Amino acid sequence: MSFVHVTAGAASNPGFVLYSAQGYDSAMVKAFNATHPGFTVTLNDNSTGPLLQQIQAEGSNPKWGALWVDGAAAFAELDKKGMLVKNSVPSVSFNALGSANVPTDKSFTPTGLTVVGALCYDSSQVSAGQVPSTWAQLTETQYQGLGMNDPSQSGPTFPLIAGVMTYLAKYKSGSPAHAVKVGEDYFKSLYQNALVVNATNGVTLGAMASQQISMAIIQSSACYGDILNGSFPTLKVKYLNFSVALPSVIGIDAKQPPIVRKDAKKFVAWVMSRAGQHAMQLGDPQGDSLFWPVIQGEKPSNAIIPSLASTHAITINPYVWGPLESRINTWFDDTIVNG
Amino acid sequence: MIVETAPLAPPRDGRRRPHASGLAIGAVLTLLIVAPVVSFLLLAVSPRMFQQGPQWFTLRFISGAFSGNTDRGIINSLWVSTLVAVLAVSLATTLAWLIHRTNILGRRVWAVGMWVLLLVPSWMMTLGWTDLLQPFGAANAVGLNTRWLYGEFFGPMGIVIVLTTVALPFAYFIISAGLQGLGPEYEDAARIHGATRWLTLRTVLPMIAPALLSALAISFAETMSDFGVAFTLGYHSHFPLATYTLFAAIDNYPANFSIAAVIATVLILSTVPPIALQSRVMRSRTYAQLSGRTQAPRRREFRPRIRILATAAVAAVFFVALGVPVLGAVVGSFVRNLGTYSPTGVHFTWLYYSQIFHPSISGKSIGAPLLLSNQLGLVVATGTGVLAVVLARRLVATRGGWSQRVTDVFLLGSVAVPGVVLGVGYIFFYNLSFITRDVINIYKTLPLLMLALVASALPGQTRFMAGPVSQIQPSLNEAARVHGAGRFAAWRAASLPLMSRILLWGWLLTFTKTISELAIAQILYPPSQEPASVTIQAYLANFNPGTGTAMTVLTLAEMLGVIVIALGLYRAVTPRGWQRVGWSGVQT
Amino acid sequence: MSDVSGAVGLAMTGLTKVFGDKIALSDVSIEIDPGTFLVLLGPSGSGKTTLLRCLAGIERPTSGQIVIGSQVVAGPRVFVEPERRGLAMVFQDYALWPHLSVRKNITFPLLRSALTTSDRDARVNDLLERVGISALADRFPNQLSGGEQQRVALARALAGHAGLILFDEPLSNLDADRREQLRIEIATLTRATGATVVYITHDQSEAFALSDRVGVLNQGRLVQFNTPEVIYRQPANAFVARFTGVAGEFRVESLRPCGENRYEVALPFAPDLRIEAVATEDLGTPREVSLFVRAAGVSLCGADDVGGARGVVVDVAFNGRGYEHVVSVGEGASLSKVFATTRYDRLSPVKVHFDPASCLVMESKGI
Repeated sequence: MSFVHVTAGAASNPGFVLYSAQGYDSAMVKAFNATHPGFTVTLNDNSTGPLLQQIQAEGSNPKWGALWVDGAAAFAELDKKGMLVKNSVPSVSFNALGSANVPTDKSFTPTGLTVVGALCYDSSQVSAGQVPSTWAQLTETQYQGLGMNDPSQSGPTFPLIAGVMTYLAKYKSGSPAHAVKVGEDYFKSLYQNALVVNATNGVTLGAMASQQISMAIIQSSACYGDILNGSFPTLKVKYLNFSVALPSVIGIDAKQPPIVRKDAKKFVAWVMSRAGQHAMQLGDPQGDSLFWPVIQGEKPSNAIIPSLASTHAITINPYVWGPLESRINTWFDDTIVNG
Repeated sequence: MIVETAPLAPPRDGRRRPHASGLAIGAVLTLLIVAPVVSFLLLAVSPRMFQQGPQWFTLRFISGAFSGNTDRGIINSLWVSTLVAVLAVSLATTLAWLIHRTNILGRRVWAVGMWVLLLVPSWMMTLGWTDLLQPFGAANAVGLNTRWLYGEFFGPMGIVIVLTTVALPFAYFIISAGLQGLGPEYEDAARIHGATRWLTLRTVLPMIAPALLSALAISFAETMSDFGVAFTLGYHSHFPLATYTLFAAIDNYPANFSIAAVIATVLILSTVPPIALQSRVMRSRTYAQLSGRTQAPRRREFRPRIRILATAAVAAVFFVALGVPVLGAVVGSFVRNLGTYSPTGVHFTWLYYSQIFHPSISGKSIGAPLLLSNQLGLVVATGTGVLAVVLARRLVATRGGWSQRVTDVFLLGSVAVPGVVLGVGYIFFYNLSFITRDVINIYKTLPLLMLALVASALPGQTRFMAGPVSQIQPSLNEAARVHGAGRFAAWRAASLPLMSRILLWGWLLTFTKTISELAIAQILYPPSQEPASVTIQAYLANFNPGTGTAMTVLTLAEMLGVIVIALGLYRAVTPRGWQRVGWSGVQT
Repeated sequence: MSDVSGAVGLAMTGLTKVFGDKIALSDVSIEIDPGTFLVLLGPSGSGKTTLLRCLAGIERPTSGQIVIGSQVVAGPRVFVEPERRGLAMVFQDYALWPHLSVRKNITFPLLRSALTTSDRDARVNDLLERVGISALADRFPNQLSGGEQQRVALARALAGHAGLILFDEPLSNLDADRREQLRIEIATLTRATGATVVYITHDQSEAFALSDRVGVLNQGRLVQFNTPEVIYRQPANAFVARFTGVAGEFRVESLRPCGENRYEVALPFAPDLRIEAVATEDLGTPREVSLFVRAAGVSLCGADDVGGARGVVVDVAFNGRGYEHVVSVGEGASLSKVFATTRYDRLSPVKVHFDPASCLVMESKGI
């Protein structure tokens, strides 16, 4: 059992603590520490929920040096409170979706993309021809009993809902009130079409596997993971007329001393380098490593993953939708889950 | 244990202890429990206190908590906890009477079974039930169709049933201790004056009213604070419970700690009425002493047919409460892709067990986490045991009066604090700048996690020990002192032997609770030192439920193994005289 | 002759103990020589248990001083822990350690002594023999009867050759015949050791049978301290008189002195009768005065007898040696424990004679 004390102002470089929920994080940190003597990155791996609770509870006496989770909404919030180091994005050539997910003040960096709103279906229950192609079709009675996750339990699901609202209302900027209304109506009609809500990706896939439902809209990496690890061989993935890009994002704590921020920047730069990106793809081969790179010219780790273009992924603005997450999740819980 | 008897000696002076030890205990409790919990609760009205909002004082969160889902959660929790408490106490009283006062078969087995029931955490129970009853679950794998039960189970009925089995052992131990102190003379007096058997029972049962009330209060508090069932069954059945809504309030980012604080305050305050009721009924009666001279109660001798029936009934209760979920989890862990429809039928496999130490996907092995959890369990159980003895003696020594009642309320209220509140409260308090800078910097270290785990286990273990500790005659210790033994030597010679078994069982209880504790572990574990409960949860929720279930079964088996070894060691190491006396959990 | 390491004297000065707002002991001062058998007598709540516990060191006095032998064990700046006072104690509930055998219970006080193991065993065997429980040596307390347990407690108290032995109502939980037996054993065994004894009880006959000195306590105060004879014959006040056994107590109508410490009293129920009684205090100033009659000073005879007060037998009980009667002598006035070798039946008229030596007159409210 070892104790960790983060003491500021130590003579040697104390390194920093990385709060991360990513499946490849321990492989990444190990690789980085092995090749970068001078300071140590200490990994605080946990699920996203507890990490964010820790950060929030730590308040103005933070212990985290950098945060690395899926979804940008939390980072938008942190940025608004001035808790992120601005201009911390390393200079790499992002692809289109990558650039779209870099904020104007460059306070956080997208490190990869998954997609939510992938339509996963059980090919032993429905054939390819029986699967819808558009979101509008999901409200039709022939596609009754669709499954999805509960946004208050499943982190990637709120961005999906925000994406649906954005797309259906063609929201670009300004007040999102109208888009919210349009989206709420849409989900209400799904609800009336016997929508089945489960907690997380794993549980929804389980419901499909036990034939309670035959298709669901969930996160791409979860579907590919189940296909690859053999637990759900008949699972297939289709992308409808749009889906929502969910970046994995890393940001640096502005309240840390300069030396710590510098160390964190070095780490982020390494993550975005070729070596780092490859390490990401090897670190969790049947889980989080099943992402689309945000860097031009890089390919996904596994042939099972189709081209990014085929996903019709759109980006949502975390600064707009982040603040609405609590309200919309509560609405969803009250109206759809417990309705 | 709390039985009215004629005082054997005039009242002792509880205030003769030097004031310093009282202050020391107060300081320890403040640092362990009060400061972190109050830090969290203050956010209910003052979010700015810990930079969680702009207001120094506001009531909007209080009104916010009593609306929508959170309001439903509070109301559901209140009536479910009341119902569960009544059910658990009724069932526990019946079982206690059957096991201690009749000649049913296998009494030892049932007494031990009650212990196992106590030690298995609620989330493992619900895992077992879910594994068993879900479509293509364990029941299906052995050829039973339970689809009709599944829908019923994932609703208020299932919740009440599982929560009752969780509360049952708490109620049972308190009531059986009370029953054991009830001599046969009271029943004899009733029978001689013409009472039927039923009337005798009704006459005599109120004599253990203090034990019944205590059991009701603690069943209520434990149920209010239960998270395992609320999170799984409650969520699935769209039947929100307060602990779940509390969790939901902080699971978003930004977390709404203030609403959570209001809910937590309601949970804690909800334990005040049961204590007040207990106080009123008992008035000035407090924990009374029983000497070693209490006669052994007589057993009701059933005729053979009734005997078999009664034994079968008890067996059925244990089967449903314990056997079913454990079997569900164990069988489930051997079924390939449990819960999945497989066109080729059911396959049993060792696959998941082979993966727990060498996972094929990039999840973590359970090896290091389980070792860490055992180490934590060792330290936490020992620390809690020492503190609990000190607190229990104090609780028992101060007779009647407001200080005992305050301690009682405090301890019961602490039982009602959900683990996540304690965990986040620890961050608030121990990460305060002036604390980390000038006092002690232990946030994000194992010592802090251990402190929080001790804080979580202490109230329950103190109440657990208070009864048996109160039954030790003070004169035994005094006799040792007068005849030449110093303070510690006298305690070791006179009190320790009588307490040794309760100490052992209390230790085991906290040891197992620590290994299975999830909420605090999740929020406070230090970097790269993940306890087993967190690993298991990650598997169950995200990676691979099959491996997660296998890990759960392994952990349960390991906990039971430790218990068996500990009991064996106790038997081997302690003098014969110790094993004859004092409280025995499995005495029948 | 005595095998005590050193019988010790005992001196308590101004001993006071307060529990919150309750005064358990108030300014008690007693001094006894080594080897004295002191009995503290009083009703429950009189403070005798508190006093004993203060002597033992289990309770800390609020003020006052306790000297055992030449050692100040409790005082304004001194408090000696129980284990260093060199005492032994027999408890009301026996306080035998249930996990230790009889032998081990008795050996306990010797564990910290300088004796070798064989000497220790020899002493324990000797005690087992003396107390008559050799056959029970390897049993455990819960296998013994009440009387046997108390014997073990006694043996334990004697084992360490303590200079001061304390007894906390040791006979009160025993049945009548055992009580007598054990009282005799306590008396003989402790006197054989020559140790100083402080023994508390609420039973007056027990107190008188055992003691060299008696201290009567009431509501925390020491009311009288003297030999049993003086206490019996010259009780300090009405409380002591009552507590040490009166057959009857009657309000006095009038009195007139008739000798040194003697008065002639008139009683409401027998206006013509004049009874001579002894006074233990000056009754010059007018106040409410009562006559206290000891049972030994009352004799019964037939209704035709000359003199005496008239009465009617209310109850009669055979006690082996003769008969004890309860005689009603007037409205609400009766005498109990009136002994006669012949039996007077219930409701038979009788005459009652009073022996002046056993009649005491004193202030009614004296406590």
